[in-house]
Amino acid sequence: MKRRRFCETLAGTGFLLGTGAAHDLHRVWTFEDVANLSHVEARYYKKHPDRETECLLCPRLCKLGDKERGYCGVRQNDGGTYYTLVYGKACSANVDPIEKKPFFHFLPGTDAFSIATAGCNVNCKFCQNWQISQVRAEQVPHFDLPPVEVAAAAARTGCRSVAYTYTEPTVFFEYMYDSAVEARRKGLKNCVVTAGHIQPEPLQDLLKVVDAIKIDLKAFRQDFYKDYVRGDLQPVLEAIRMVSQSKVWLEIVYLVIPTLNDAEKDIRSMCRWTAKEIGRDIPIHFTRFQPMYLVKNLPPTPISTLESLRDIAIQEGMHYVYVGNVPGHSAENTYCPRCRSTVIERFGMQVKAMAMNKGACRSCQYPIPGIWA
Amino acid sequence: MNKSKVVVIKGKGVVSSGADLDRKKISEMLSVGFRLLTGTREPGESLARLFARAERIGIKVNTIGGRKISTRPELSLSLAELLIKNGQPDRNIVIWDRTNRELREAGYGLSDRTNGLKVLATDTAGAGYETEIISHRNIGSLFSTIQTNFVTASISLAILKDHGLAGVTAGMKNYFGAIHNPNKYHDSHCDPFIAELFESGPIKDKHRLSLLDALVVQYHRGPSYHAQWAERSGALIFSLDPVAADAVGWRLIETLRSRKGLPSLKEEDREPVYLGTAEKLGLGRAGGDSIEVIEDEV
Repeated sequence: MKRRRFCETLAGTGFLLGTGAAHDLHRVWTFEDVANLSHVEARYYKKHPDRETECLLCPRLCKLGDKERGYCGVRQNDGGTYYTLVYGKACSANVDPIEKKPFFHFLPGTDAFSIATAGCNVNCKFCQNWQISQVRAEQVPHFDLPPVEVAAAAARTGCRSVAYTYTEPTVFFEYMYDSAVEARRKGLKNCVVTAGHIQPEPLQDLLKVVDAIKIDLKAFRQDFYKDYVRGDLQPVLEAIRMVSQSKVWLEIVYLVIPTLNDAEKDIRSMCRWTAKEIGRDIPIHFTRFQPMYLVKNLPPTPISTLESLRDIAIQEGMHYVYVGNVPGHSAENTYCPRCRSTVIERFGMQVKAMAMNKGACRSCQYPIPGIWA
Repeated sequence: MNKSKVVVIKGKGVVSSGADLDRKKISEMLSVGFRLLTGTREPGESLARLFARAERIGIKVNTIGGRKISTRPELSLSLAELLIKNGQPDRNIVIWDRTNRELREAGYGLSDRTNGLKVLATDTAGAGYETEIISHRNIGSLFSTIQTNFVTASISLAILKDHGLAGVTAGMKNYFGAIHNPNKYHDSHCDPFIAELFESGPIKDKHRLSLLDALVVQYHRGPSYHAQWAERSGALIFSLDPVAADAVGWRLIETLRSRKGLPSLKEEDREPVYLGTAEKLGLGRAGGDSIEVIEDEV
């Protein structure tokens, strides 16, 4: 039923609410009746007296009374036990090129079976997927896709990996973790696209079952995180550090928003920190912003801005610096840091050519870091 | 400058020891409350001053707390009855909240009768949220179509409770149930979010009356129900000033806390700072000196 008809119904102009002729007035049909949320106990939380719970999954550490929902909108205290409402409840499942995530040094040219549930533990004013991330579990259509089915579907569709993406996988941690275990059983790899706003303990556990993590570093200033992300910078830096110290492959994406997080001195600081603390081989992607959600008053990022920030990163010694969301740009390619040969040529999300041999530059044999097979 | 008027009506014996409510007494409390609020002799005259005959009235209740600590159906239905009795067409009245499950769990019988009083939620099929975000200061939300499309005059009929983050939850915070993402607005004591949401067009332009259900007040460890900290206060709080209504509700909670030997909300570092923000935005008065409280008992 269209919204107008609903309003006419309410105004009493002659329509019945509902879809069937035998409409039951005593049981109004609702979205939630078919929402079929999960009721699986969460893994990282503490019980407090008086049926209160404290979530230990992300740095917000939401303290909730009975029947209250966390900031993420998909975890709820019910009678003093904390539940995930989205376990096995995917709102998106697609076969995507791995370059879409983007991962440029992880199984290039392959497909990733990509899933998401509703919810997010930050609230970026420039969110590109707000229709599924900034909603509560029951507010978005979803379907049953248990972990074993995730792995089976990935294998069936010829994907080499499962990607936990689109929204914020941290908020569907249990589902992601169990799916990753199932995917590994089928010989698939796992990759995560996250804002990195996660506590150390769950992240440590996650690192045992996944192969690659891409962290969206939203800015290198706390005030930006406070005002535009509704989160904190420090836990994200800690997450980047933790991943870099593990065997899991790491890439960083920095969405460049004109006037808000594109100051050259901030980019220089970020690159210096990354080079010193994380390493020069971590790929950094400077991606182009498009007006979205609550930031519609700014133009798309000028390509010249992306290029100058890339130049800064290279000046600061980073080896693999990319420009994203600009199909056809030469900075989509991977270049050998030693001989400058093109080792992977890309156009948008497509790999056009690879000149690598056993993870090294075909021209000079310089090893290119990443997971290539 | 005139003070903001807040009317507090206590109902002797309105809540039994078993927490059952006396419907007749509630109706009486409502009639007296409206008369005192508007300075009229008859409830019909009072209501006519507040609502035009052709208006579609939304009674926004708060049912997140379940049967024990939600806006009581007995109160909501008595209010609707009073409106109908005094000339408002029943088909133009909706008692509503965000989900039908919560309404049911709070004891409401749902109804979507075309030509009668409606009791339903935003998640009713065919309702839902707007598809376009409304952005106002720090707020960016999808609003319930019940609030944006059906309602022309809104009554916030909230349950008065202690709130672990906001300090208190009352008439203003009740409108968190009119948007799709209230979970995003609980940082920093829900401030400035409660005030700024109220200031947004779909709320401020339609809000007509705050009526707080203080029949049983959760004065500690809210917003969840805890029997040991729930007081049968037997009161209703009326005001045309949404900030003043909440401020008086806060005072009642502080009085109960003090009586039970509990620290004040300020001492627990969860004073309802949103009231100060709301006052600064010109939404009403929060200070005790600028509020006239009229009390009566029936």
